[in-house]
Amino acid sequence: MALSNRDRARLSLGIQAAIFAGVVVVLIIIIDWAAVQRSFFNLEPVMAMFPEVITVGLWNTVRYTFFGFIFGLIGGTVLALMRIASFPVYRWIATIYIEFFRGIPAILVFIALGFGASLAFGLNLSTLQTASTALAIVGAAYIAETIRAGLQAVPKGQMEAARALGMPAWRAMVTIQIPQAFRIVLPPLTNEAILLTKDSSLIFVVGMAGSAAELTKMGRDGITMYQAGMTPLVVAGICYLIITVPLSILARRMEERSPARSSRKRQKKATASPVTSGVA
Amino acid sequence: MSELVGTPEQVISDPAGVVIDDLHKSFGDVEVLKGIDMTVSPGQVVCLIGASGSGKSTLLRCVNRLEDPDAGRITVGDFEATDLDVNLDAMRRQIGMVFQQFNLFPHLSVLENCTITPRRVLKQSRDEAEREALHQLDLVGLKHLADRRPAQLSGGQQQRVAIARALTMKPSLMLFDEPTSALDPETVGEVLAIMRDLARAGMTMIVVTHEMGFAREVADRVVFLDKGVVVEEGTAKQVIGAPTQPRTQDFLRRVLNPLGE
Repeated sequence: MALSNRDRARLSLGIQAAIFAGVVVVLIIIIDWAAVQRSFFNLEPVMAMFPEVITVGLWNTVRYTFFGFIFGLIGGTVLALMRIASFPVYRWIATIYIEFFRGIPAILVFIALGFGASLAFGLNLSTLQTASTALAIVGAAYIAETIRAGLQAVPKGQMEAARALGMPAWRAMVTIQIPQAFRIVLPPLTNEAILLTKDSSLIFVVGMAGSAAELTKMGRDGITMYQAGMTPLVVAGICYLIITVPLSILARRMEERSPARSSRKRQKKATASPVTSGVA
Repeated sequence: MSELVGTPEQVISDPAGVVIDDLHKSFGDVEVLKGIDMTVSPGQVVCLIGASGSGKSTLLRCVNRLEDPDAGRITVGDFEATDLDVNLDAMRRQIGMVFQQFNLFPHLSVLENCTITPRRVLKQSRDEAEREALHQLDLVGLKHLADRRPAQLSGGQQQRVAIARALTMKPSLMLFDEPTSALDPETVGEVLAIMRDLARAGMTMIVVTHEMGFAREVADRVVFLDKGVVVEEGTAKQVIGAPTQPRTQDFLRRVLNPLGE
């Protein structure tokens, strides 16, 4: 029996719907919904966690991430410039740094900094200092690669035009290349901020006072404190989403009207004209 | 189109001469320039013609050292361009350059494109730089678009802004690297008209071009390059009208009559 294309499409859709319905029915039957509600969606600990989960937990997560990102941005910019420098030693150092910190788990940096800084240098870092420094060290490696790609995405002619006008190299870099690269890297940098927000949770391995607790710490403490299942973790997770979802929407918006796109469109328009003779 | 720009109000007071002596340049194993000699007197307009890959763009880019020559000597006005100690930035301020792809700064307005270098490099005040920029934009007929972004302009308009931008630095030599090759055919004329006015105002110009009509009307001298050597040079009338070298004849036949009838 030969099926027409439309019948085949309808059949495929029907099979997908049937599988979905089957899975839903099985889940409804095998899952103890009361237990799920007790351990994940218990209203009591939720009420108990407010407002501290916002005023302390969310606030600290934002603070640690913010400073980590800012210093990571500064470090990443320096590394990116080193990566494209003409002096080879700079390039080697930057490459080694980037490969090293992109290649190891971020949690190692938190441990090394949290316990090592006082052991090795006698430094007594606060939780804010530890968390944001660790995030900056790791973030700089990723940010450096993003910025390097952005700098190299600016057409070569831009730098040439600036140099041909008589701008010194540093001036052309600052006024022409970096502002254009910045627009190109804004969306990927926003994604980097999202990753750092999540990585700020790793500070839990070092431990911290209650007033310095960020979201993950609060969630874990909530579990032991209220003895009411995993609900505090769910609350913490939702708080992370309050930060990351808007950032991710922002990144997508910026990607949609990225200057790189419109300039590509322009390039297409500027096709070579056939050889003509005569002055108009 | 020339009523757009009016009569040449521009007077170039101190055009620079260019002397090129036995210039060599290779990219990897490919020798692009094989000993070029060329002299451009102050105020002269020289058109470089030749097939793509003949080395004419590279020659132009050696003059303001966007490319570093391997051997030979270039003098631009008082500057020894090929001298290792030459102040490149100071020299380039004397040399305006117009590119095939315009290379306007897309993140700046038309006006800012014309004021950024005078302000940041020559340390002019904003008023001073804007007055001169608006004057130059007026000369290319685009004063009314000063607040636009380059992306909002047609190709021809962008190239006219690029010329105005170069002129705000008061150069004494202008280099044009196929300035109309990326333009829609109907906007070629407006750019060529401005270049003609600039030539009449007394600017020294080296123009890489395929516009034989422009070369015939404006050039004091036409230089035909092929495979990195100057094959033939002379007045436009001689080189375009009555070429003596077989390679020049062949090139012109293909350019002027692409279908080969």
